[in-house]
Amino acid sequence: MTAYVGSRVPRVDSVDKVTGGAVYAVDLAMPGMLHGAVLRSPYPHAKIVSIDLSRARSAPGVKAVVTGKDFPLLFGSAIKDQPFLAIDRVRYVGEPVVAVAAESEVEAQEALDLIWVDYEELPAVVDMTAALDPDAPLVHPDLHTYKRGGHEIVPHTNINTLYRYSRGDIDAGFAAADLVVEGEYSAHALSHVALEVHTAIAEYDMGSGGYTLWVSTDRPFFLRNELAEGLGLPSTQVRLVVAQVGGSFGGKGVPIAEAIAVVLARHSGGRPVRVEFTREECLIASQLRVPAIMKLKTGVNRDGLMIARSAEVLWDSGAYTAYTVGVAIRGSQTIVGPYRIPNLQILSRQVYTNKAITGSYRGYGTTQVTWACETQMDEIAAQLNLDPVDVRLKNGYSEGDAYLNGQIMYSVGLTETIERTAAEIGWGSVEREPAPHLRRGKGIATMIKPTMTPSSSNVTINMEQDGRVLVICAAPEIGAGQDTVLAQMAADAIGIPLSDVSVPATDTALTPYNGPVASSRTTYHMGNAIVSAGAEIRDEILGLAADEFGIDAEELVLRDGSVYEVEGKLLITLKDLLAKFAGEGLSLTVGSRFSSASSPLLKADPGEEWMSSIFWMFCTQAAEIEVDIETGVIRVVKVAAAADVGKAINPMLVEQQIEGGVVMGLSNGILESFSIRDGRIENGSLADYKVATIQDLPQIVPIIVESVHEEAPYGAKGVGEPAAAATPPAIANALYDAIGVRIRDLPVTPEKVLAALAELSEQGRA
Amino acid sequence: MKRLRAFDYHEPPTLAEAIDLLVAAPDDARVLAGGTDLIVDMKTGRMRPSTVVNLKRIPELSGIEEIVGGIRIGALTKVTDVEVSLLVQERCPGLAEAASILASPPVRALATIGGNVGRASPASDLGPALIVHQAVANIQGRDGVRVEPVETLYVGPGSTTLASSDIITSITLPDPPPGFGSAHVKLGKRGSGTDIALAGASASVVLGDRGQIGDCRIALASLGPIPFRAKASEALLKTEMPSETVLAAAAARAAGEARPISDMRATASYRTTLARVLTLRALRGAVESAGAEVAV
Amino acid sequence: MKVHIELAVNGVDYQLHVDPRLTVLEVLREQMLLTGTKEACGVGECGTCVVLADGAPVTSCLVLASDADGAAIETVEGLAADGELTDVQQAFVNTGAFQCGFCTPAMVLTVTAMLRKDNDPDIEEVKKVLGGILCRCGAYPKILEAVTEIKGVGK
Repeated sequence: MTAYVGSRVPRVDSVDKVTGGAVYAVDLAMPGMLHGAVLRSPYPHAKIVSIDLSRARSAPGVKAVVTGKDFPLLFGSAIKDQPFLAIDRVRYVGEPVVAVAAESEVEAQEALDLIWVDYEELPAVVDMTAALDPDAPLVHPDLHTYKRGGHEIVPHTNINTLYRYSRGDIDAGFAAADLVVEGEYSAHALSHVALEVHTAIAEYDMGSGGYTLWVSTDRPFFLRNELAEGLGLPSTQVRLVVAQVGGSFGGKGVPIAEAIAVVLARHSGGRPVRVEFTREECLIASQLRVPAIMKLKTGVNRDGLMIARSAEVLWDSGAYTAYTVGVAIRGSQTIVGPYRIPNLQILSRQVYTNKAITGSYRGYGTTQVTWACETQMDEIAAQLNLDPVDVRLKNGYSEGDAYLNGQIMYSVGLTETIERTAAEIGWGSVEREPAPHLRRGKGIATMIKPTMTPSSSNVTINMEQDGRVLVICAAPEIGAGQDTVLAQMAADAIGIPLSDVSVPATDTALTPYNGPVASSRTTYHMGNAIVSAGAEIRDEILGLAADEFGIDAEELVLRDGSVYEVEGKLLITLKDLLAKFAGEGLSLTVGSRFSSASSPLLKADPGEEWMSSIFWMFCTQAAEIEVDIETGVIRVVKVAAAADVGKAINPMLVEQQIEGGVVMGLSNGILESFSIRDGRIENGSLADYKVATIQDLPQIVPIIVESVHEEAPYGAKGVGEPAAAATPPAIANALYDAIGVRIRDLPVTPEKVLAALAELSEQGRA
Repeated sequence: MKRLRAFDYHEPPTLAEAIDLLVAAPDDARVLAGGTDLIVDMKTGRMRPSTVVNLKRIPELSGIEEIVGGIRIGALTKVTDVEVSLLVQERCPGLAEAASILASPPVRALATIGGNVGRASPASDLGPALIVHQAVANIQGRDGVRVEPVETLYVGPGSTTLASSDIITSITLPDPPPGFGSAHVKLGKRGSGTDIALAGASASVVLGDRGQIGDCRIALASLGPIPFRAKASEALLKTEMPSETVLAAAAARAAGEARPISDMRATASYRTTLARVLTLRALRGAVESAGAEVAV
Repeated sequence: MKVHIELAVNGVDYQLHVDPRLTVLEVLREQMLLTGTKEACGVGECGTCVVLADGAPVTSCLVLASDADGAAIETVEGLAADGELTDVQQAFVNTGAFQCGFCTPAMVLTVTAMLRKDNDPDIEEVKKVLGGILCRCGAYPKILEAVTEIKGVGK
């Protein structure tokens, strides 16, 4: 029986956000603070021959000017390949070369004009396919000497990640299939466009040699550890304080503004230094979604059952690996989709190119592979003359099925997500021609997403003398309502009013370890830690009450901030109970750690446990679109979007994620693209990188599907990522339904639509 | 944050002082109207004027008023005011339409009609609409007052016949004759139309007593180095009854007159397609605005 | 050479001497420490810098401070000045019309200004009016719900 879990309670950050009272890293200022600016490489690949800083050093207000030679350290979580500032060469347009700190931001920006860098251009590799060429210039010729984790690389090439997976007998599978469908698909680079730009303030402590940073991030401990590792410091010598985060979407987990702030702080005599990226810097020199070229081949029987799939995926990490290695590996697996396919072969390679760094993007590779998988599903349906919904239902996972690695899948709401979205969109009926130049169609797409496994979350719950509770954890509020959901679970786990629960800000010196607020993992992992700690605090209180009143603790319950006997008689309020300790003082503290590592749910074929996920998420979307056959412009009319979330802790917040995911997916799929020439982004400004506005909004019907997960806190899994992945293929499949045009390369642009229509009519099939 | 570099700043209270300042200032001096182009250009570094002359203290440069034979729109009139003006909607509907899809509402509340004309972007939203309504720019400079049709004001991308000390003071639009109709259509990267135009088309027609097309004008944006009139296309319409066939032929001709480039926003080939499609839609809109129907 | 300006911000009169290169956004955030108004692009494309100038939403990152002379500026901080949320703010809270909150000040101000002029706008008009403010989190559906909740109710 829960008072808050399952309810549409208003978010706990509501008042702050509607009054302008929410404080983000960009809003922070400290006494004595300096401002940073960065001089960036104009070339995709070049040697730094010399740098003339003399005029900059004496410019008004300038306090520090730092180059890579002054700070020749590297960082990088999977491969330590990235300098804080370029050292002897630059590897992408926009790479930081010189950092300047000055008394004011404009003085720092103006000082950049006084710096002269002499470059010697080197041959650049700016295309990921070309990067595979044996004669291609090497972005990192010394890759094999870099400190790195255990994944496979191919030395003396641009291949920084190699992953192979196979199961069953792929050749026999294709041989046995009635039909083999093949295609090549591509997903393009995207910017997260979190409205709050990358910002960090860093302060160097000359006594201890450590740093404190005020940052905007979704993964404080990962970021802290990566910075500390790069700086050669013990992890606790770097402290991160996180304010409200103005959106992340996977883009704020690696050192970006933080790297520059640290470099400048080190050279600013102890004064804090603030580095705020401009939007242009965010677009060209932070992180982008990892572009991918995906060759997919599926062997299928006439009745629609898939029996073999081979995939060859090429990923583009840009100039440094940052957070892309996991994307290339984990993302590649999910190209199988939520389907039972016995014979599999996956080859995944990721290459360096002399382009902007890429990384995790709301789905960790799933938005890219879902595009390929779900487009091909419809191609299979079309070639077999089967209903796209039926083909998915036929092959989709059900409760108790085994995943690729033998893990038994529990909490599988896939079928319900498909059936309910199809019903909501009115599958099977379309008003085809609402006007002479318009055509309508409907399409569906589904997806599967694992969560980072294993991972852990710690929480400390403090109950103060007045009965109020602090849920002390490192789960920054990045916009998805983390604080609210965690507070709801804490309130119910303990038995107190929601208004008595606070979730203070993250400070790695004070809040215990948490994995990232990413991978849709927070509700589940931090929730489990909170449920456990909350129960302990509750038991402690009931123990105090039991002692106080001489009643067995088993006969007592804590509910809504008061202790009751089980039959219902009010014994004492929590506040009054705690007040009895006023003399000696009291606060109750319980710490709890939850890790998914040893769960029996992860059991799988020997050696393959690492592929298991503590929970699986499923999301299906059905879209109705209207396409203008004269201009190629697609208007998305309606999207029915269903997510299997296990249990909705707060249905309003789940809707926010589903709706938000659809808006982002729509924007990603048909509006956003970079124009890149010779490795240089030409449209590095919001004037020409277009993101969906409210005028692009379709009717969105969010559908919450709940399924049972035995180990989840109140049954809740996750929801943040899945909704952005299914939208582009649902739209593209609807386009095919409308006009018979198949687009395989994202984004789906009006030009491509018209070109495809023209080709169709040339082939006489229009 | 994006910040402006320092500049010599002036806010003259009269037109004469503004002109004197511009005459005396270095060649890179710029006038500031709404700021929605200039401030953006200064922040991106596309322009680094040493001197900025803010015109907004000059009182007589704003406002929409009826004059003999037409309406006069002060150069500093906000685009949003052009959009909602009943006078403009009634007499120059295509101009009101063009104003309504320029940028976004909080930007339109700052942008000025004079600033848009002076900026002379090939993608100008208002340019083609002003051209089809036979708008005339009233200009004051060191040599006194002159008038020039907006159509001939444009010389090249970002450049006009204005001298560096010339200031557009107002735009005059003649009263439309009976049977007049106009429309403006644009396509931006987002379907909602508030983006830099990939292509834009403005059309005006005057329908005679039998419904035949008399005077007509077609002007295109983002389809050449300047907003321009598609005169060969217009010639195909004169004296014709407005039917789908006739309009389609004119639209196809307009596509032929277009000289689009390929850039990061669109290819020349797509723009050529849009020239035809948007011209046709603008023509249909103009005919309907004149109170007639396009025969099938 | 500094410019002397007199303006009202959230009903409070100010006299300032400002560097002419400063925008209204910089003065609000950095001199008056009213950080509710944001910058997410600096070039008028995102709308997070929107404030009300004499009742009209404008992108403050494009307005020189000197052009605010004589203006009455309202920022988000001026809405619930007496501690009580306005109807618009309360509607945003009730419907969950925000996620990360970065665009929320601009959205709330623009909805407020719109409803002052027309307290029963149709949905297409609402979308048009809000079209200049980006919300990357995609809170648009619930923002429209919030407006629907307060339509006809007044300020």
